[in-house]
Amino acid sequence: MSCPHRYLEFVTVEPLRLRVQFAKRGKARYLSHSEFSRTLMISARRAGLPLQYSGKYRPRMKVSLSPPLPIGVTSECELVDFFLEQYVSPAEAEQALERSLPDGIQVVRCRLMGSDAKPVGKLIDTAAYRVQLPTETGNEGDWKRAVEIFLGMEVVNLERVQPRRTRVVDLRPGVHELEAGIGPDGSGVELFMVLDDGTRGTVKPSEVLRVLADLAGAAEGSWRDALVHREGLFARRGGRLVSPLELGKHRPAV
Amino acid sequence: MSERTPGDLWERIEPLLLRVERPSRYLGCEWDAPGIAGEGTTVVLAYPDLYEVGISNLGLAILQDVVNDIEGASCERVYSPWFDMEREMRSAGLPLFSLETHRAVSTYDIFGISIPHELTYTNIINLLDLAGISLRADNREEGPLVIGGGCGTANPEPLAPFLDLFVLGEGEEVLDSLVRLVSEGKSRGWDRRKLLSEASRLEGVYQPSDYEVDYRDDGLIERIEPVGGAPERVRKRTVDLNEWLYPRHPIVPFCEAVHDRINVEIFRGCTRGCRFCQAGMICRPVRERSVDAVVGLVDALAVRTGHEEVALSSLSSTDYTMIKAVTEKVSEICEKRRMILSLPSLRMDGFSVELASSLELGGRGSFTFAPETGTERLRRVINKPISEKDIIDAVLCAVRAGRRRIKLYFMIGLPTETDEDVEAIGRLVFGLRDTVRGEGMVPPVFNVSVSTFVPKPHTPFQWVKQENLESIERKQGILRETLRAKGINLSWHDSRMSTVESLLARGDRRLADVIEYAWASGCRFDSWSEHFDYARWEAASEKAGVDPEFYLYREREPDEVFPWEHLDFGPDRDFLYEEYQGALRGETSPDCRGGKCRECGVSEEPGACLVLTGTWSS
Repeated sequence: MSCPHRYLEFVTVEPLRLRVQFAKRGKARYLSHSEFSRTLMISARRAGLPLQYSGKYRPRMKVSLSPPLPIGVTSECELVDFFLEQYVSPAEAEQALERSLPDGIQVVRCRLMGSDAKPVGKLIDTAAYRVQLPTETGNEGDWKRAVEIFLGMEVVNLERVQPRRTRVVDLRPGVHELEAGIGPDGSGVELFMVLDDGTRGTVKPSEVLRVLADLAGAAEGSWRDALVHREGLFARRGGRLVSPLELGKHRPAV
Repeated sequence: MSERTPGDLWERIEPLLLRVERPSRYLGCEWDAPGIAGEGTTVVLAYPDLYEVGISNLGLAILQDVVNDIEGASCERVYSPWFDMEREMRSAGLPLFSLETHRAVSTYDIFGISIPHELTYTNIINLLDLAGISLRADNREEGPLVIGGGCGTANPEPLAPFLDLFVLGEGEEVLDSLVRLVSEGKSRGWDRRKLLSEASRLEGVYQPSDYEVDYRDDGLIERIEPVGGAPERVRKRTVDLNEWLYPRHPIVPFCEAVHDRINVEIFRGCTRGCRFCQAGMICRPVRERSVDAVVGLVDALAVRTGHEEVALSSLSSTDYTMIKAVTEKVSEICEKRRMILSLPSLRMDGFSVELASSLELGGRGSFTFAPETGTERLRRVINKPISEKDIIDAVLCAVRAGRRRIKLYFMIGLPTETDEDVEAIGRLVFGLRDTVRGEGMVPPVFNVSVSTFVPKPHTPFQWVKQENLESIERKQGILRETLRAKGINLSWHDSRMSTVESLLARGDRRLADVIEYAWASGCRFDSWSEHFDYARWEAASEKAGVDPEFYLYREREPDEVFPWEHLDFGPDRDFLYEEYQGALRGETSPDCRGGKCRECGVSEEPGACLVLTGTWSS
């Protein structure tokens, strides 16, 4: 700043962001994106965080949200940047938030970010999912083969039905990792996928599942009961997946 | 997650959730949803409409808290499942379940159903059917006591055969007594019959089977006779608002609801005496809550809920004697907590609008007024004597304060109304627009909403006939012709919906069959215009052998026995009739806060009924 004396007082109240990672489990997985984000925002009010608002007559809380999670999917990584007016310690914020959240939603961790950090909404482009398949969808071999075929394809066209329009999209460039194996409890087949989600477009786990189920010869619609879980959200930096909670960690927040 | 209560149906509910729109309607587990142990006396309260509507209902939020404050009792909720969920539930054989513990409603001790208005009656029947409870009270040998309450109990007769009991008036104290009585009955091993008979003795509780209705050959009621020692009339209950400081834990929904705000009542009752208004007649007397109590509730609920808006609610908010003091204090809380304050039901006078503008209530968007009619003459008839000047001043004031949209409510089909009165609505709106222009300002958008008047029981207009469909449609045509201009948007309610509402509003027990047939033929959510099906109601009336015209288009005899004659909501029949005659003469009656008691019958001693926190100036 060109005139440090004039701004000196402002340094301590310079806009900060509280980046919070939430988990969404149990009954909360049936909340839509808008219900979930409304709930996080009103919970932050209950927590008494020093939130920043914009707009005079109808104040709007300033937040940035990670890409929507489909209804029915659980997650341990739903990110929100709350814009703050004042400093609050992340540990205090975490406690206050934890007390203010309804059942099924928890805080995984919190971190303060400087005002120059890119907000989560503009940062995230990748999501990792783990999918537990119902036993009637086939065995490990079927799914491993399906994954192999999928990864070997240059183009994976799928009809994407949206409320306004239906179009054919190529899923392949948005699928970065895909594996099939036996889950940790040894019971059933589990898939792991890393997909485009956010600023570079979105491939839904159900879309990949639909194609794979077809390739694996699974019974019609049987894959719909699969339990999908979002494990992480990332920003791709070259070939690396970087967590938005790790980004800029070496720079002081304040 | 929390541990399961025996009888929890969650495992059967969960597979249906991804097949329906907005699964959160059926989840429960919202913020501040009560933790329920599921032991002791169990109550489930229903709102017969969609979750988003029901969760905004203040009455149920109050009553749920009241019951959950009773030791050894618990209260849960249920709302009408939407069409998709009903289909899924029926095909899975899943009964109606509560949102808190997801147990079958039929296993509770008390099933309380809110009756907000006539067009929810088929939803009420549907709730009973989905719960697996016999539709007719006569056939019930077991299962919960089915109790109705809310505004719709002013004339519950068309629903009388379906419910065991009705609570008349305000429910806080009565429900408290009822729950304690049921607890006692359970410990003493009373059977259902004994329990009902004990409950029916509580003040404010009406058991329809305690009254026999005799009809004459011409279809009118000969008499309504109490049997088995029941009193001549059942009187509604009211409570002291400073004693019942509720709600204390309003549930914060996940979804966007009809009203996403803290709702704190500042008073109940209304003294203005508008002759068309049922609430203004049946909610008497006026009882104001103290400023401290209001402020205390707002503060506590702001912290507890996190809401961004608080409404100070009543039937006519600026009539609260200490309105300036209370809004100042609440505004301070709002500033501290980043909330906005709203005052629903504002009167059209300079004071109200100035107050609202000074508080920048509800931002700069829309302002709503209810002139009700186009002419001063007709406003005198309905005893809402706002002058044209008041209306102009109010609108000018709102526009000066920066409002860009003005919503105006009117009614057509009022007693003594002529085409000229209807045409005057157009002249009034254009006059308002021109006056704003004349003051050198850009006129706001006028959203003009015109509803059809429905005569309601316990009002001075309970004697008048409903205006028929052709006549209403002709008057709507006049409005369409006269109100066509840019910046003026005209909308009205489907007059066929008003017809069904009117039929049921002043109906008697013979209409129960009509409701049941309408429900059986698929009527649900009748207040949703896209789901309302008039043809089904016509067919249901025919099947039941009921002539709707008898109820709709007949001027009542001065001394006719009304179906609600045995239900005492305060104002005497003589008072109401005098008011009706005054209306026909175009005479107004003063506000009873002005000091001149009209002896409406609410209190024995003239003027003794008012509970005010300050002195009133009109």
